[in-house]
Amino acid sequence: MEGFLNLILEPINEVYLKFKGFSPNLLAMLTIIIIGICAAWLVKTVFLKLFKAIKFDSWCDRMGITALMRKGDMWAKPSDVSVAVIFWLLVTVSMMVGFSALDIQAINNLVNQFFLYLPNAFSAVLILFIGYMVSGFLSRAALIAAVNSGLSYAKLLANAIRLLLTVLFFAMALEQLNVAPNIVVSAFTIIFGGIVIALAISFGVAGIETARKMIEGKKAGSGKNDKGDVEHI
Amino acid sequence: MVEPANIVVGIPSYNNAKTIGHVVKAVDAGLAKYFPDKKAVIVNSDGGSKDRTPEVIKNTTIDHNALLIQHPLSMAHRITTPYHGVPGKGSAIRTIFQMAVDMGASACAIVDSDLRSITPEWIELLLSPVLKEGKDFVAPLYNRHKFDGTITNSIVYPVTRAFYGKRIRQPIGGEFGFSGNMAEFYLKQDVWGTDVARFGIDIWMTTEAIANDFRVCQAFLGAKIHDPKDPSSDLSEMLVQVISSLFDLTEKHSGKWKEVKGSIDVPTFGFRYHVGLEHVKVNVGRMLGIFRDSLDNLDKIWLEVIGAGDFGEVKTLGAVSDEEFRFPLKLWTKIIYDYAIAYHKKKLPPQHLIKSLIPLYLAKTASFVMEVADMEQEGAEAEIEKLCLEFEANKEHLISNWK
Repeated sequence: MEGFLNLILEPINEVYLKFKGFSPNLLAMLTIIIIGICAAWLVKTVFLKLFKAIKFDSWCDRMGITALMRKGDMWAKPSDVSVAVIFWLLVTVSMMVGFSALDIQAINNLVNQFFLYLPNAFSAVLILFIGYMVSGFLSRAALIAAVNSGLSYAKLLANAIRLLLTVLFFAMALEQLNVAPNIVVSAFTIIFGGIVIALAISFGVAGIETARKMIEGKKAGSGKNDKGDVEHI
Repeated sequence: MVEPANIVVGIPSYNNAKTIGHVVKAVDAGLAKYFPDKKAVIVNSDGGSKDRTPEVIKNTTIDHNALLIQHPLSMAHRITTPYHGVPGKGSAIRTIFQMAVDMGASACAIVDSDLRSITPEWIELLLSPVLKEGKDFVAPLYNRHKFDGTITNSIVYPVTRAFYGKRIRQPIGGEFGFSGNMAEFYLKQDVWGTDVARFGIDIWMTTEAIANDFRVCQAFLGAKIHDPKDPSSDLSEMLVQVISSLFDLTEKHSGKWKEVKGSIDVPTFGFRYHVGLEHVKVNVGRMLGIFRDSLDNLDKIWLEVIGAGDFGEVKTLGAVSDEEFRFPLKLWTKIIYDYAIAYHKKKLPPQHLIKSLIPLYLAKTASFVMEVADMEQEGAEAEIEKLCLEFEANKEHLISNWK
């Protein structure tokens, strides 16, 4: 009976001892993460106040950084975006440091891999950022041009352009991250091609009349239209 | 080595073979009739026309006897030269400035090559204030149909007048007279890579003349009729080039215009008379349609540029029927000033910013067309005067937000 009891208690004891030995690491991890998040929050608040004091948003306006963000259809204040980036960067780093405090070989490898992977991640983030800017700029250019031409589907057109470019840049970012590159390329080809075919079909089905008028207009080649003949200048 | 000349008349052109012959004849006759004792040169600055425009200029002849003109001491020479740099009217005019300076001309004039209503008297009216009255810059003054020149009437004239305090009615008219000193001043400015090299040249010339305290005046030329073209097709680019030049100048002369209050008349030469003008068709429904569609599509941009209060007013306008649609003058002035501020603060890329103004401009134009539909020319002019006074009264809004 005693042997049987030992058989049960021994593993529990072992687990307890392991946990006892491991708990300081766990506690250290949780402490590091909590302190990291608090520190990140503190840094965020300090930076927000600092940016306000030095009129960072006005400086960004003058330097054209706000215009660059607006090009990407990003409407938040530069100071808000900057502090958000700082906050999440600190949170991510503190989590990585926290995980390494567990001192588990697998996690240590993972953390090492994470830091080795950082250049790729940085490139991917850069691609996504540029993609965000480019897609925002082009979709807004299309929106304004379509609105001024009197097209009723202006927003749809702008959203379609943004979607296509977003898919393109996401695929590029995923390729940079080495996430199943073959699958990414295939998926991208299928999705991108699918979107283009869908747009072509929807235009073909819904816009037969419009297309006919456009072609007839071109054929007629006359400058006459219903715009009136106001001389603007 | 170029030979010296007293007068240079520049004609920028691009594919104007149909009309340029008439323009050259009028210029030639004007020089022979009114300045027979001056050595004059007609300079055609061509942008690479493919319709034999330069040949038309060379081959155009004029019978001075038939026009009761005694032969001048020396006939006006004609020079056709291509221009370099950014393709556009501004680059063509820069070449004319260069030739005027090289020839040491004391008076110059520029006339458009697509004019149908130009007469020899235009040359006298553009040059005499310079040669006889010592003026540096002569702006044109025309009789135009009340629906014509809508960018001028609703934006360029009121803004230039409110900013710089001089009432030059056609700041972007296309025809100008100026002194040799003025040409030299223009030539020295480093603007030839900007929109000034294109449609922005007219507003730039006028504003620089006023803002730098040159002696400015205007000359009444009669009716302006030129080769018909489809204005709506290039409205977008035209508006971008003109308005971005206007706003760039606002930036450059911010120290000057902040001090200006009210406005004064400038000396006006020429005999004013009424002329019959061709009817102008306006599709108000289409303009308002574009404006209403834009309310949902451009809301984010407008909210950022003009603010929630004015955007609320604009949104309310969207619900008004075509017949009752009227764009409040105060709202329009605040919108234009807010766009100037947004341009100054680089809130959006310039092209996007100014193009996003087009639906609002169309709505304002439609409103003006309906307001003055039953009025004579004088009535329409009185409405424009009201708008100008509103711009002058609300200038504080711009000054207080310009940081």
